[in-house]
Amino acid sequence: MRRAHRNAHRMLWPALAVLVGLALAMSLVMRAPPPAAPPPPAAEGQR
Amino acid sequence: MSVGFKAVQWNREKYIYDAILLAGVTLYVVAFIAISHRIEPPKDLPEAIDVRIRAFGTCAFFMLTIILSIGPLARLNPWFRKLLFNRRHFGVLTFIIALLHAWFMIEWYEAQGSLPSLLTELTKWSDYGKFIGFPFKVIGFAALLILFLLAATSHDFWLSFLSPPVWKWLHMALYVAYGLVVLHVALGIMQYDSNPLIPIMLAASFALVAVLHVVAGWRERGMDRGTPTGGDGWIAAGAPGAIPDKGAVIVVAPGGERIAVFRDGTEIGALTNLCSHQNGPLGEGRIIDGCITCPWHGWQYRLSDGCAPPPFTEKLATYPVRIRNGVVEVDPRPLPPGTPATIHLPAP
Repeated sequence: MRRAHRNAHRMLWPALAVLVGLALAMSLVMRAPPPAAPPPPAAEGQR
Repeated sequence: MSVGFKAVQWNREKYIYDAILLAGVTLYVVAFIAISHRIEPPKDLPEAIDVRIRAFGTCAFFMLTIILSIGPLARLNPWFRKLLFNRRHFGVLTFIIALLHAWFMIEWYEAQGSLPSLLTELTKWSDYGKFIGFPFKVIGFAALLILFLLAATSHDFWLSFLSPPVWKWLHMALYVAYGLVVLHVALGIMQYDSNPLIPIMLAASFALVAVLHVVAGWRERGMDRGTPTGGDGWIAAGAPGAIPDKGAVIVVAPGGERIAVFRDGTEIGALTNLCSHQNGPLGEGRIIDGCITCPWHGWQYRLSDGCAPPPFTEKLATYPVRIRNGVVEVDPRPLPPGTPATIHLPAP
């Protein structure tokens, strides 16, 4: 590889890691919570 | 090399490489589908197609992760160079697997008679302003387009037509494609499937690739600053005995480009570190059958003048060398490609 390619690698990968890492973290934080489990059936005596 | 272009230059190693690739892909896809069917048998055709979408999608993602790891791994440890020489077939196969992933997605819509809803999904412009809810299929399509472009230009014809530096710039678009694939998964299946394995595998794969590239790049940073030169501009490469026989040491010209100083017995010569094929690191190669052999794809050049042996016609720039005070020195001003410039050590 030429020096210019190596320099581009050194610039590009940290930038890509930050951008994609940030987007990945945001998509994890902002994703909808899993549907809540159905409530346990009520006991007979409580009806 | 330069004698005509053939569709694929096959050899035994490539057959073995490709056979292992195909066997690995087949095994992965078959195992994925079989295990998925065992855990949760599909109730109808769309569910069965959905399993295929996931099988081929994850397969393409893991293949991309491996492809992008090979380059920095080969720079960190020479053992991995053996995976470099046929990486193009790996890349083309990855494009085919990704294409099948997209094809099954279209089939999924078709099986439900809702193909027009795919178009509606892609043209719902208000969704393009959202983060969660962004049409993730468009991101996947953009990545697929890049993979197509790279697969289509992977042949040596395009390498020669575009020139190695331009071809390399073009093929660095693979990094962008990988980032898009990560986002495609993060904004797609990861939003609808709460399986914790999805974010774990996604983040771990991307982190592995990113860390490998960053570490490999920064380790070479010091070398790119250049090798100190003497008063007359010549660069010291070390004592003749410090240059491994049939191997090289690499020095750096003031402009930052690298020069490989080879020794073959008593003959010492310097030439550009850039192979004329893909700009591979010649100085990390060896002298085999009397010729300097590039570690990436085996292209060969004579030490004496930097010319490829007949019938090939490639020529590399050579550099004047001398021995002063028992040290091999290189003049960093290149000679015209193919100029004889080696020196001979006195016989012991």
